[in-house]
Amino acid sequence: MPVIMTEGAFARPGTSLDFKTGTWRSERPVHKHATAPCHKVCPAGEDQQAWLAKLQENHPAEAWARLVMMNPMPAVSGRVCPHPCESACNRGHYDEAIAIHGLERWLGDEAIRQNWAYPVEKGPMRPGHVAVVGAGPAGLSAAYHLRRRRYKVTLFDSQPEAGGLLRSAIPPTRLPRDVLDREIERILATGIDFRPRVALGRDVVLEELSRDFDAVFLGIGAGRSRHWDVDGAVPADLREGLGLLREWLAVGAVPTPNAVVIHGGGNTAVDLARVMKRAGVAEVHVITASGLPGPDTDPDDVLNVVPRELEQAMEEGVVFHPHRTIQRLIMRGSKVVGVEMVRLKKLPNAKGRKSRIAFEGTETVLHVDMVIPAIGEVVDPDGVEALLGTHDYFTADPWGRIADHERVFVGGDARDWTRDFPGGTVSAAIGDGRRAAEGIDAAFQRLTPRLESRPDIPFETLNLHYYESAPRLRLPVLPLDQRNDSAEIEGGPSAGDALAEAGRCLSCGNCLACDNCWTLCPDSAVIKTVETASDGSHYVFDYDYCKGCGLCAAECPCGFIGMIAEP
Amino acid sequence: MRDALEGSQAIARAVGMCRPGVVAAYPITPQTHIVENISKLVADGALHCELVSVESEFSAASVVLGAAAAGSRAYTASSSQGILLMAEVVYDIAGMRLPVVMTCANRAVSAPINIWNDHQDSMAVRDSGWIQIHCTDNQQAVDTTIQAFRIAQDLDLPVMVCVDGFVLTHTLETLDMPDQETVDRYLPEPAFARRLDSANPLSMGTLVGPDYFTEIRHVQHRASCRALDVIAAADRDWQALTGRASGGLLTVDGDPDAKIGVLAMGSVVSTFREAMETLPGGKKAKLINLRTFRPFPAQALIDACAGLRHLVVVDRSLSPGLGGILATEVKAALADGPKMPKIHAVALGLGGRDVPMEAWTRLVALAKDAPEPFHILDLDPAKLDPADL
Repeated sequence: MPVIMTEGAFARPGTSLDFKTGTWRSERPVHKHATAPCHKVCPAGEDQQAWLAKLQENHPAEAWARLVMMNPMPAVSGRVCPHPCESACNRGHYDEAIAIHGLERWLGDEAIRQNWAYPVEKGPMRPGHVAVVGAGPAGLSAAYHLRRRRYKVTLFDSQPEAGGLLRSAIPPTRLPRDVLDREIERILATGIDFRPRVALGRDVVLEELSRDFDAVFLGIGAGRSRHWDVDGAVPADLREGLGLLREWLAVGAVPTPNAVVIHGGGNTAVDLARVMKRAGVAEVHVITASGLPGPDTDPDDVLNVVPRELEQAMEEGVVFHPHRTIQRLIMRGSKVVGVEMVRLKKLPNAKGRKSRIAFEGTETVLHVDMVIPAIGEVVDPDGVEALLGTHDYFTADPWGRIADHERVFVGGDARDWTRDFPGGTVSAAIGDGRRAAEGIDAAFQRLTPRLESRPDIPFETLNLHYYESAPRLRLPVLPLDQRNDSAEIEGGPSAGDALAEAGRCLSCGNCLACDNCWTLCPDSAVIKTVETASDGSHYVFDYDYCKGCGLCAAECPCGFIGMIAEP
Repeated sequence: MRDALEGSQAIARAVGMCRPGVVAAYPITPQTHIVENISKLVADGALHCELVSVESEFSAASVVLGAAAAGSRAYTASSSQGILLMAEVVYDIAGMRLPVVMTCANRAVSAPINIWNDHQDSMAVRDSGWIQIHCTDNQQAVDTTIQAFRIAQDLDLPVMVCVDGFVLTHTLETLDMPDQETVDRYLPEPAFARRLDSANPLSMGTLVGPDYFTEIRHVQHRASCRALDVIAAADRDWQALTGRASGGLLTVDGDPDAKIGVLAMGSVVSTFREAMETLPGGKKAKLINLRTFRPFPAQALIDACAGLRHLVVVDRSLSPGLGGILATEVKAALADGPKMPKIHAVALGLGGRDVPMEAWTRLVALAKDAPEPFHILDLDPAKLDPADL
């Protein structure tokens, strides 16, 4: 029955629905959830964009729940993680990166304050009992993620309290102990059977665990300092950095020479330098092969330290000597009286990779009466000799599986770095623990675990017309003269500031719920089902009428809409 | 009331008496005085309407399109390049069947730039679907403007009132301005067949594919043809009220049995009427004033030409490579008649060249011989390179 045409072709309501303009389409818009750069680089696997979106909707509890789907320790990691997410943040190319660490910390603190329940699956336990050795970040994460999946977990640690390196090597000025205690307590309270004071090799052996449990996760860390000497010379009274830091945390005292050189470029070196400076050491030098952050420094070459910690250390008077190494120890008898350091240059070696070469003629001397190496640690082989062999670390696949040991998994500092999964941070350990839990879950269910794979969303693909410049959240920092051995140096944001900062998130690769597609579609072919959602699920393309003009894709601020050829 | 008024001022007052809801126009010579006078009426509080200042003729046309769509009596005026800049919207207004009224103060079209009178501008949009009515003097301009609002509303079609630039717009003439009460009695309430109304929604300007476009054009053509009766009736009714007719579809002056006819549009008709009365031998031919150019009154023209042996058609515009536009259409229309007179096609008065009374004698003389090819009657060969003759 043909439509009777009207004068001037005016149309009564609804009548144009008879004309299915969708048949003209050669391309169609689709939602494509890309991986925001923050998520892509997060060692813990957090999807920062996803939980920031919940915060934008003013749902902090949901934001926290989304966060702890990946990382159960936001109050800790918000304080100690170097936050590669912020370095990768697309907003950094626009004005300033989102202060993700401040928001993560705020959510963690709010969860503790309001006692939000961890999202642990309800229902009976599933078959499978896992022994987790080491209650540091890797072990706690593995135990939590297994518990979330309703597996029975027994968590062993040689120390009287859980926390591992978080407790033994991170100063309370960075991580207050009550925050650490309460976050760990809450994780253990999800139903993890915690057995303190049980040391692998002393109180229990690996073979026994492998026999009594359905799977074993080793989060035993790297407890033995690397061997250090300079051309074979070692001072008789040598003390290693991590040991000194642990000792200071345990008894509250460090040696106080007149001048000290700390050799190394990690958090241990910087933390110890600051402790010694505060303890009254007049000159504290840090010699490191890495560079300091700056416009000319390759990001991969920068000290592996939380950037604000480095800044604060410099404020406090620690002297850094980047791109240098110790060439010679100046000894009087077996005691150090100085070091000769030399500049390093990066040159391609025979294999075509760059290696650091001493640059002759740049030698300088520092007069110090103590040298402390802080160049890293290797796995303490006690109790795992057979499994470790002659290696410094365990080699494992992304799920922590050790070749030829079907039900033994490893993660955290005990695992050797790979290109896709570098280690050395609390967040990396947390990520290892989660992936191992996924691996164990898959093994129990005889499935193959898979890594998430979504396209990237580079800065250039965002439509910046729809964003406004806004300054980054500034967090309160304790003034120099009020810093001591216990007071936390950086503070957290207020609730209002946290929500405002979350509002700065560009929602790269995901829906911002901005209504652009809905309002700009010339054919009203974008249908909105509810007022807001963070995942774009409330916008539906009406392919009966979508002509495929691509306006929605062009005007989506976040790159969430793409055009594909009509199937 | 008899009043000595400039054409533009009279047209402005006539528009004001039609109580438009919205006026939007962009100034262009020779239309400027019309809008100036409307502005003055509004500023003086004598006319209550939305006078929208716009930045171009395109916007002026767009504003009146929207206003008419919203149910408002809307008016605009323009000339020459202004009409051409409006062209897209001019087509839209007609296609959407919106009862807009526009005065075209007829002017030549650039290049070379020329601000004086001929009919090239309204000819450029003759196929847009607007009704086009030409005025021979300012009394007709006033009366036709008022009639235009009624014709537009009756048919849901836009009406262009063509008034020769300068010759009429800038000339003082003693004329009868109707009083407001007469106009109010003549014009219907501005209640259009369709208007945008959120309580009763509809879409205008919708997209129509090949499956319905043909039908839309057919309906538009039918409405335009029906306008012939409506235009004639509107003029009759106006005459009944005021005693003045404006010429219906066309008028014929002179000896009904004359064998020679001269056909023209616009202000030259007034010149020729006077020449016919005063020049020796002037009454040898009759004068056909084609008042309504769109819709084209073919049957009325056939009737008016009955008994003619020769018809001289005067064009005030030019289709280069073809010749006279009006002559071409007249010839086509008469071809359907019982006996076709010989057609002598000439143009004159292009770009404001003066058309004196003596032109009448020359035009009538053209009918002595077999028709020559189309030519420009008042061409001055002395101003041409011989190669261009």
